Amino acid sequence: MTPMKWFYSFLKQYKWRMFWGMVLVTILVASALASPYISKIIVDDVIVAEHYDLLMPMIGLLIGLVILKGICRVSSQILFETSSQGVIYKMRDKVYRKLLQEDFAFYNKNRTGDLMSRQTGDMDAIRHFIAYVIYIIYENVLYFILALVMIFMINVPLALCMVIVLPLAAITTYMQAKSVKPAFKNCRNAFSSLNAFVQENISGNRVVKAFAKEDYEIEKFSVENDKYREAELNASRIWKRFVPIFELLSYALNILLMLIGGIMVIKKQMTMGDLVAVNGYLWMLTTPLRMAGWWINDVQRFTTSVEKIYDTYSAEPDIKKPKHPVERKKLSGNVTFQNVSYSADDEDILHNINFDVKQGETIGIIGTTGAGKSTIMNLLCRFFDTTQGEVLVDGINVKDMDMYQLRDNIGIAMQDVFLFSDTIEGNIAYGKPECSFEKVQEVAKMADADSFIEGLPDGYDTIVGERGVGLSGGQKQRISLARALLKDPSILILDDTTSAVDMETESYIQKQLENINHTCTIFIIAYRISSIMKADQIFVLDKGEIIERGTHEELIKKNGYYATVYRHQFPEQ
Amino acid sequence: MARNRYDIDETLEEKFDASQFKRLIKYITPYKKKMLIALFFMLSSAFLVTFIPKFMQLEMDIYIPDGNIKGIVGLTLLTAAICLYDAICIRIVIQLTVSVGQDIIHQLREDIFHHLQELPFSYYDERPHGKIQVRVVNYVNNLSDILSNGILGTITDLFNLIFIITFMFSMSPRLTLICLCGLPVLFLFVLLIKKYQHRAWQVQNNKQSNLNAYIAESINGIRVTQAFVREKENTQIFNHLSKSYRDAWMHASYYGFAMGPMVDLISTITTAFIYVAGVSYIANGNEFGVSVGILVAFTAYISRFWTPINTIAGFYNSMVTAVSYLERIFETIDEPVEIKDAKDAVEMPEIKGSVAFEHVDFSYEDGVKILKDVNFQVKPGETIAFVGPTGAGKTTIVNLLSRFYNVDSGKVLIDGIDISKVTLHSLRTQMGVMMQDSFIFSGTIMDNIRYGNKTATDEEVIRAAKTVCAHDFIMQMENGYQTEVNERGSRLSAGQRQLISFARALLADPAILILDEATSSIDTETELVLQEGLNHLLQGRTSFIIAHRLSTIQNADCIMYINNGGIVEAGTHEQLLAQKGPYYELFMSQYNIN
Repeated sequence: MTPMKWFYSFLKQYKWRMFWGMVLVTILVASALASPYISKIIVDDVIVAEHYDLLMPMIGLLIGLVILKGICRVSSQILFETSSQGVIYKMRDKVYRKLLQEDFAFYNKNRTGDLMSRQTGDMDAIRHFIAYVIYIIYENVLYFILALVMIFMINVPLALCMVIVLPLAAITTYMQAKSVKPAFKNCRNAFSSLNAFVQENISGNRVVKAFAKEDYEIEKFSVENDKYREAELNASRIWKRFVPIFELLSYALNILLMLIGGIMVIKKQMTMGDLVAVNGYLWMLTTPLRMAGWWINDVQRFTTSVEKIYDTYSAEPDIKKPKHPVERKKLSGNVTFQNVSYSADDEDILHNINFDVKQGETIGIIGTTGAGKSTIMNLLCRFFDTTQGEVLVDGINVKDMDMYQLRDNIGIAMQDVFLFSDTIEGNIAYGKPECSFEKVQEVAKMADADSFIEGLPDGYDTIVGERGVGLSGGQKQRISLARALLKDPSILILDDTTSAVDMETESYIQKQLENINHTCTIFIIAYRISSIMKADQIFVLDKGEIIERGTHEELIKKNGYYATVYRHQFPEQ
Repeated sequence: MARNRYDIDETLEEKFDASQFKRLIKYITPYKKKMLIALFFMLSSAFLVTFIPKFMQLEMDIYIPDGNIKGIVGLTLLTAAICLYDAICIRIVIQLTVSVGQDIIHQLREDIFHHLQELPFSYYDERPHGKIQVRVVNYVNNLSDILSNGILGTITDLFNLIFIITFMFSMSPRLTLICLCGLPVLFLFVLLIKKYQHRAWQVQNNKQSNLNAYIAESINGIRVTQAFVREKENTQIFNHLSKSYRDAWMHASYYGFAMGPMVDLISTITTAFIYVAGVSYIANGNEFGVSVGILVAFTAYISRFWTPINTIAGFYNSMVTAVSYLERIFETIDEPVEIKDAKDAVEMPEIKGSVAFEHVDFSYEDGVKILKDVNFQVKPGETIAFVGPTGAGKTTIVNLLSRFYNVDSGKVLIDGIDISKVTLHSLRTQMGVMMQDSFIFSGTIMDNIRYGNKTATDEEVIRAAKTVCAHDFIMQMENGYQTEVNERGSRLSAGQRQLISFARALLADPAILILDEATSSIDTETELVLQEGLNHLLQGRTSFIIAHRLSTIQNADCIMYINNGGIVEAGTHEQLLAQKGPYYELFMSQYNIN
């Protein structure tokens, strides 16, 4: 599919609306042509020929026409505007849905600000095109053709002379459209990159201030800001060459009429009345020509934006729902990794991981920074696909499952806590927005979050900022834990969830986890031995491999990595 | 802290008035010269172009009846010259107006961004980031058209209008007065809808801002959304916001749609009046000097009178839209900077490292005290550790030290100098802060570490990375230090991100180092190596450490146990253990696992 076809698939739904809009514009054009004619009658017949009795009917007609024109104008604008809003509403929805399907790899490649530009600035170019550019071009082309037809009817040789400008206009249109396109693409890119920079600066405002790097940020911003201005100016350098050409072409018509028309009248090849008539129609030819350069700009800005949006839209995620997924609404929580390897960007992250976890077991994972602990969990949730080997849940390869069903069964509290700017209740109930407040409170209590939440001025209705700003690290982690617990998951993943929580709280949370009243396989990733020592199995990960496994006691006896870490953390024992 | 979220409209404190429009004019004044030149070319070509129909008239009235072909050729050449001049003018005007328009929005954007850099954490904490962003980027962009083309076009139209009115007056004052009667009616209409139209665009802005905020959050929180299978609900919310935006847009547009037909209607009615009046004057024996000839000539001017009014009305429409963006932009630029250099602020001299809190009270929100009468003193070179339950105020204390917030009462002193009396820049450049939330900018790893000190050489960056044990994993990545990471560093694990921001803090070579949960996601082995590397680095520097793993802080010169907004106890590890207070309990809970 080409970007334009894709665009048309949206517009198609509004084709009748657009059609009626065009019909109204046609009526508008007709009545606009009729009014000067009536004025002429008033002047010639009423005033000059003194047929005063005609005055009132003619004025009535004139006002009637204006009202008709007004109605046509307003309703056609409403038709076009609603079509444009309808198109971009559908388009935004499609693009948004697609963004939600995209995998992590996509988000690693694309900056937030870039993706946002697709949904804002680019959509606006499309809106402008449908709501304005289409009908204004149609209206003017209509004027142009009508005028041409009338001039042909009046005097063919003169009309033929005037038609000469058409191929010239076509060539200019083609050249402008072609040369201005890459320049507008640059503008969009520069805009996008400016947007991305601002977005990051706002997100990273704490770091900027901590390092007192405001001046540096302003400097970098200026570079982006300059680039954008430069891109727009560059584009204008191109199109400003063409706009005067159209201006000249439109004047060429005035000149042709003046010279050839005048001579023809003198040579008796045309009457004076015809010359006056043609002169009266001339504006219908010159106005469209004069404006053509501007509309070509609008059209090209529009096509550029469609292409950009389609580019984002058409990126297919690698991780997709299989065509015929194995249906499994509720999973038991048996997890098996068979010879699993994973690599990304030529970097081996996991190598030959094998384990077997029965439902209800608690697994502790410990290991060096960057050893691949979180990656194991990402494979389990199928955020990534394995390079080699299989991940099985309840004996089913996760690639054969409906990943939405799979993820529905997994509760994960991520290392990097992201909270939405919503109330605390809304954040905890993120996975089940329809659940009762009692349930929210229950899981908050399990995560030892209830007491501090109640201490906040608005309690559960307190709105927290994005990335949970306004809460301490430990508080964010506990909300994130409550959020995971609320799903009553068959598999619970706690990825470094208690690192910023004090010890007392942690042991309280651990006790709560033991009391979860349904079978739940729990994976705990941690650096603190205390977080995982009670697990049924502990895996020690290093450089993408499981180097030790067993219970706490077994691993202590082994006297390997785990035992060393244990002695560091508990020197007194 | 009245926080805002994606589905709450922002209120506008200030009413838009003429003074803010004057501010926009201020942005234009630096380009007075360019604008005047552009105006000159615009007016001169507009003036000359009015001759073309006159030439045509001349040709038809005189040259053709005379059969004067030479005259026609002469007129044609003259017309061609005017056209050529006009084309050249257009080119010059485009060049000037586009560059002025772009310069102005460039300046506006610089100003708003500049101001944003000065706004404190709380500004960013109080609203979704997407709502701040939309002001810097989208709103400013929306102004570009009106600034470059609109204003000059309107001036030209105004000149045209004056020109035509004078002409009409010279023909027939009486008829001109009738014609002008239409204007007050139009004004009345404009005034009538102004309030609603303005309000409608404000609503539209809010909806746009809400949608933008939600898009930003959806992208930033995509991992959570996918993990919690929230796609359906989010799409619903998104579509709801998208729909409100659409409806608000349509609502606001209706007023604009009415404008053109309204001008048409008024113009036709006044024209009708002129016909009626004219005819009756003529019937009464050329009353008020209105003859058939004058009436006929006059009617030709009526449409030329209303054409510029129509375009001015169109300009007015876009102006109302622009005003709603402008007021948001100026609102941001006017946002008071609560934390700024005092008027007589001096440079912080080179910090030796003694720190004191004297009776410090602090609250984020009125009435909810986070810190109550905090007092302590730290000697240069000491290492201080803060422990205590989450939310006790540990991070708050270190944030006050860098003056990210102002104290409610009391004083924070560094080397005996009240930090509210020195410039923020001189203070913060001497502090190294490693925050709980390690933010990674998109760029190379090298750039990210160098953020701490822009002048550092590659070797210095690598040395810092080695000190924090980040060198090895960086070298394992495909392009080593030149590996591109993106915002939030999603390619890096949390621990790796912490190490990078740690290196960044170190590279700043700070006199005071603040580590807020700097090593929470780092494994014990690495941490041990790290500590060794740090030990000699920390010598001579005052450092504050917040950590939950007590092994990290046992060697601190002083450990302060923070709870309920105050220091409960303080002392060395041994002293505190001997006291058997809350620290002792904490310690025992951590080590007595069984």
